[in-house]
Amino acid sequence: MAACPTHINVPKFISMIRTDNIIGAAEVVKTSNALANTCGKICPEEVFCQSVCTRGKQDSPIQIRELHFFATQQEAKKGFSATKIFPASGKNVAVIGAGPAGLGCAFELSKLGYHVDVYDAQKPGGVPRKSIPLFRLAPRELESDTKFLSGFFATKKCLVDSKTFERIHREHDATFLAVGLGRDRLLGIAGEKLKGVLPVLQFLEKAKTAPSKMNVGKKVVIVGGGNVSLDAAATAKRLGAESVVLIYRRGEKEMRVWKGELDEARRQGVEIRFLINPVSILGKNKVAGIKCMRTRLGKQKDKTGRPVPVEIKGSDFTIDADTIVIAIGQTIDANWLGDFERKVGGYVKVRENFRTSLHGVFAGGDMIAGEGTIVQSVSHGKYAARAIHDYLSVK
Amino acid sequence: MEYQKLKEIDIYPLRDMSYDFLGIHLENPFILAAAPSTDNLDMVRRAFEMGWAGAILKTTSVEGNRVDLAYPMMSTFDHEGRKLFGMGNIDLISERHIDEIEHDVKVLKKEFPEKMVAASIMAGRKEDWQSLVERLEKAGADLIECSFSCPQGNIGEDPGKMLAQSLSATELTARWVKEATKKIPVSIKITPHVTDIVEVARAVKRSGCDALTASNSIQALMGIDIRSFSPYPNVGGKSTYSGMTGPAIKPITLRTIAEIARNVDIPILGTGGASTWSDAVEFMAVGAGVVELCTVVMHYGFRVIDDLKSGMSHYLEEMNFSSPAVLVGKALPNIVMHDDLQRKKIRSHINKKLCIACDLCYVACRDGGHMAIDQKPSRVPHVEWERCVGCGLCQHVCPVESCIEMHIMA
Ligand SMILES: Cc1cc2nc3c(=O)[nH]c(=O)nc-3n(C[C@H](O)[C@H](O)[C@H](O)COP(=O)(O)OP(=O)(O)OC[C@H]3O[C@@H](n4cnc5c(N)ncnc54)[C@H](O)[C@@H]3O)c2cc1C
Ligand SMILES: Cc1cc2nc3c(=O)[nH]c(=O)nc-3n(C[C@H](O)[C@H](O)[C@H](O)COP(=O)(O)O)c2cc1C
Repeated sequence: MAACPTHINVPKFISMIRTDNIIGAAEVVKTSNALANTCGKICPEEVFCQSVCTRGKQDSPIQIRELHFFATQQEAKKGFSATKIFPASGKNVAVIGAGPAGLGCAFELSKLGYHVDVYDAQKPGGVPRKSIPLFRLAPRELESDTKFLSGFFATKKCLVDSKTFERIHREHDATFLAVGLGRDRLLGIAGEKLKGVLPVLQFLEKAKTAPSKMNVGKKVVIVGGGNVSLDAAATAKRLGAESVVLIYRRGEKEMRVWKGELDEARRQGVEIRFLINPVSILGKNKVAGIKCMRTRLGKQKDKTGRPVPVEIKGSDFTIDADTIVIAIGQTIDANWLGDFERKVGGYVKVRENFRTSLHGVFAGGDMIAGEGTIVQSVSHGKYAARAIHDYLSVK
Repeated sequence: MEYQKLKEIDIYPLRDMSYDFLGIHLENPFILAAAPSTDNLDMVRRAFEMGWAGAILKTTSVEGNRVDLAYPMMSTFDHEGRKLFGMGNIDLISERHIDEIEHDVKVLKKEFPEKMVAASIMAGRKEDWQSLVERLEKAGADLIECSFSCPQGNIGEDPGKMLAQSLSATELTARWVKEATKKIPVSIKITPHVTDIVEVARAVKRSGCDALTASNSIQALMGIDIRSFSPYPNVGGKSTYSGMTGPAIKPITLRTIAEIARNVDIPILGTGGASTWSDAVEFMAVGAGVVELCTVVMHYGFRVIDDLKSGMSHYLEEMNFSSPAVLVGKALPNIVMHDDLQRKKIRSHINKKLCIACDLCYVACRDGGHMAIDQKPSRVPHVEWERCVGCGLCQHVCPVESCIEMHIMA
């Protein structure tokens, strides 16, 4: 991975901060990234911009994300700079899903002069609005972006199903799909339906909207090994759990996490235990614990290139739990996408220019690539918009 | 997936900063000064495309004039880790003579009719000055700048002396140049190395020339290698005085421009030490009508124009100024003689909440002020008002913004 997927001109905006032209700097950032303020707050800089910062070769990388965030916040405080009016192309494009990918696409399409109708079952913002914990992203930090974008296009509240999809597709010159990954993957083990067992997206959403209604008890176990599981663990801690244990079936090296988040979870007192596989969830009406087995890393590698964990016979043991959160990944939550060609994992398959197997329909974001990042999703949207523009220009 | 970088679509409207100066319409106040950056057609082209409003092509001379360069020619004055705080050069005028520059002017004017294409010239004899002017005006130059202040080398009988250091030579030569023009304005590029800059400006004004370019590099000895005793830039163990440019000379230039503007009614092209949009605001506030930049471009490239334009436009908006032109001379009424300054009792005030007890103000006052800052055992400084005279030294050594302020006594 290299630099910024939305290609923010980093030297340019930093040179502007240097001369105290903070508004100019914010404008540079916002020109390239539709969710500028949000990315300024929670983009994993260690895998993007700062990983390629030349200064890192001399001493340590420039704190690019912090500078970026400083600029967008200052601009928001002053009031957004006036933007220009884009000459209308006379064509309509529909965007389904107002998460990072959808918003990124709608913004770029607006710049290209298209009338854009954005449809989302909820308020715009996608995962950052619904699931990313408050302590990492405050609502106003995301709203700074959605408010700015609302000047370019409107988001209509609409839960799209096969019927509405057909209508939307028919009524627009092109359609961009960006519904993300709304459905939790489950373990498929006994006891998963017990009260007190929560799939991670549900858990995070509830913790965000109604934290006072949540009673996680004293002991929380999180099953998973990605960033989302770390968010769940840190959230459980904040909800008052005395002990939070995260169990992962492989080792620390195999975790798919950003180093900063892992350190932060540990600082919060989350206990992370490796080489453990859940076997069944125990309890009568309500969860009481989780039965696990120890694993070792086998010689064989899976399709992600990581060693496959092998259960060690006779190693089973139980961890007590009042709440268990299953955070082992997400899939697409849309049966109405039945007609689309898929990839392994169920993600929608697109060609290089974001075209799906359906004529005039494009797709981007997590639904085509699996769990990614905000900035990558915005970038998908942006590039897809250019592809849609090319498609409509020759049509 | 990795994607090719896209050309971004601008989302902000173009902010008009155009105005007229010396009858020339300029997109913005930022002009490239006569230097290596303007001595190549492709470079100037690229700069124009990026948004520079104009360029003074590097100083040229008549065919056959020998320009005998010595290399390396660049050196630097670094300050506490910052490179090129000041930059030194022992460059001379362009090695490219009038035939080539005349061609450059023609091509640039044709390709960029809306840009200010100016040419800089230097000569010795009257007929040479005049033929340079005539040819360049015919080629389409918008302005002629005369280098009366090249600090290295010279053309004339008095080695080591610049034209602009002689009042009579300045007036006479400026008159020759002006006589030779039909319509276009002439600016004389002067040096601050004179006893009285106002007298030089008056001589130019008397000659009938239209403007002054103030000023140029400052003569300097860039440093000595303390082991080999060879000065910088090291040209085979020897060196000569350099012309110093860049941030280090800004305060000198500000004073030069201000002093001319306060005393002589003549348009000024400001040059010498401006690097940012706010430097440009300062140059204009003391009387410059446009700002010529050189070192910042040699250091960071033509792309600095992005921030110059953006920063200036946001500043104008914030200040509710309709055009850069309104900045010209805005600070001049506030520059007065020492006698005319107010004589109020002021005292230093340290904000204890902001103070980080670093010691700097205490030491500075103890050994360079009036021993008026006491340091209690806690290291938190305390101003003894009886001893404090209000000199302000403590305020300037303090590393914390607005921690120390000067208060007027009742
Ligand atoms: C807990 C968590 C933490 C994360 N933390 C970070 C982080 O710190 N930094 C980072 O860069 N990335 C983070 N990510 C990843 C990032 O949030 C995703 O990569 C990104 O949101 C994907 O964007 P998207 O637009 O593809 O999908 P989504 O954000 O999922 O948006 C999809 C949108 O489509 C709407 N939708 C779905 N179905 C329908 C339908 N049928 N009709 C109408 N609307 C529909 C949804 O309501 C939603 O608004 C995190 C993800 C999670 C889950
Ligand atoms: C390498 C170099 C060459 C220069 N050559 C010329 C020249 O040929 N004619 C001239 O009038 N000024 C020349 N200058 C001076 C610049 O035009 C400018 O006035 C000076 O550098 C101060 O501005 P700055 O601080 O922005 O660099 C030269 C400066 C440098 C650094």
